[in-house]
Amino acid sequence: MNELFTLRPMAVLTALLVPLLTLAAPAWLRLAGIGPAWAVLWLLPWAMAEGRRAGLCGALGLGLLLDSLHPGPVTLLPGLLLLGWWWGRLGRRRGMLRHSLSLGLLALVGTALLNLSLLLQWLLQSFHAQGAMPSLAEGMASISPLLHQAGPPAAILALPVWERSSLLAVGGTLLLAQTLLTALLAPWLCSLQLLLWRHLGAGIRAVPAASPR
Amino acid sequence: MALRWPRIGLLDPVLRSWPLLFLLLGLLAVRMSKGAGLNDLYALLSRPFWPGSAQSEWLRRAQSVGDRLRLEQLEQENRRLRGLLGLSNRPGRGLSAPVISRDPAGWWQQLLLGRGSLHGIQAGDAVLGPGGLIGSIASVTPATASVRLLTDPGSRVGVWLGRSRHSGLLSGIGTARPVLRFLEKDPDARPGDVVYTSPASTLVPPNLPVGVIQTIDEAADPAPEALVQLSAPVDSVDWVQVLRP
Repeated sequence: MNELFTLRPMAVLTALLVPLLTLAAPAWLRLAGIGPAWAVLWLLPWAMAEGRRAGLCGALGLGLLLDSLHPGPVTLLPGLLLLGWWWGRLGRRRGMLRHSLSLGLLALVGTALLNLSLLLQWLLQSFHAQGAMPSLAEGMASISPLLHQAGPPAAILALPVWERSSLLAVGGTLLLAQTLLTALLAPWLCSLQLLLWRHLGAGIRAVPAASPR
Repeated sequence: MALRWPRIGLLDPVLRSWPLLFLLLGLLAVRMSKGAGLNDLYALLSRPFWPGSAQSEWLRRAQSVGDRLRLEQLEQENRRLRGLLGLSNRPGRGLSAPVISRDPAGWWQQLLLGRGSLHGIQAGDAVLGPGGLIGSIASVTPATASVRLLTDPGSRVGVWLGRSRHSGLLSGIGTARPVLRFLEKDPDARPGDVVYTSPASTLVPPNLPVGVIQTIDEAADPAPEALVQLSAPVDSVDWVQVLRP
């Protein structure tokens, strides 16, 4: 845990880059208008290098930072926490993954899971908001032919949530584009960060061992 | 053999002077047409000596000033009438703001502006791009403001058609073109109709241009729906105008 605190300034500095890059993602680094999942590109090497606890801490901090950029009740936290825990466990169990391709595949799965967690939340919100209302409207329309002629009640149309049909269509495109882009960037960016954390971590871990002499 | 005119008594002198007759008829035509041909000929010949464009420019400017005054008068009248009807009556003072970040295609479709509460921007203010409404302010910080675009699934704006005056609700569905859901079974809408913000809206200023109807789904249940192409190019807009109350 002490090692984690020693690494913290560098981790905080690099983690702060994630929301900044999310905001400043240039148009040429977008696929179908969608940028890469910078959170995944930071969290993957950090969690794999530092373990499960550091992964969870990183995911929590990053999730809180990124959630502040977006309105609405949907949050990135569940997806990021799951990924932080999973990648931390994976890094500790199997040691450092050296193959860039493996990092790319992990980033691919991670981005897909992160987007699926968002999609699921939108879907739940949509069910929660729209679940009872259409049946209520149908009931009202069946009672009164006048209401049926008048069109849909404005209160139903005004629900500010994703609709299920557009959620699945648009969400699918969004998921595919971001997953592909992140997986393409991960081998380079994650390898470099993994080397950085490994180098810094090794230096810090070496200091207490050398000091008693 | 020489051609001889037939002798028809009194008409003989008239028929013999047919060139004069044609000339007379031509002059009569010119007279009846109020100088058609003659004026055109004069315009053609005198074109090199026409006055320069300076006076024409003055006229255009005068016309523009006249139009502006007329517009101000109409706006005043509109405000007075809206006041009588008890509808929202925001004059909408504009503040230009730069777009410093954009995400028009993600889960949250929004822009980030480089002006915030320190400049008087508040949540709910309408945001205009070149061409029309693009969204409204969702949240503000002291130096920035986040704009929820009309394409965002959480965006709902009351609109009406300029031609048929039928109302509907413009809902973002996550794609570049929001959907307009009409509140009536027969909205009398067709592709090309211009969509404006509703005069009854309490959230955005009335009668701001929003976009143009691209396609209509008459069979949609429970009421027809239309896809709207937004007037303002959200992908490339660099400066926007925030309408402050």
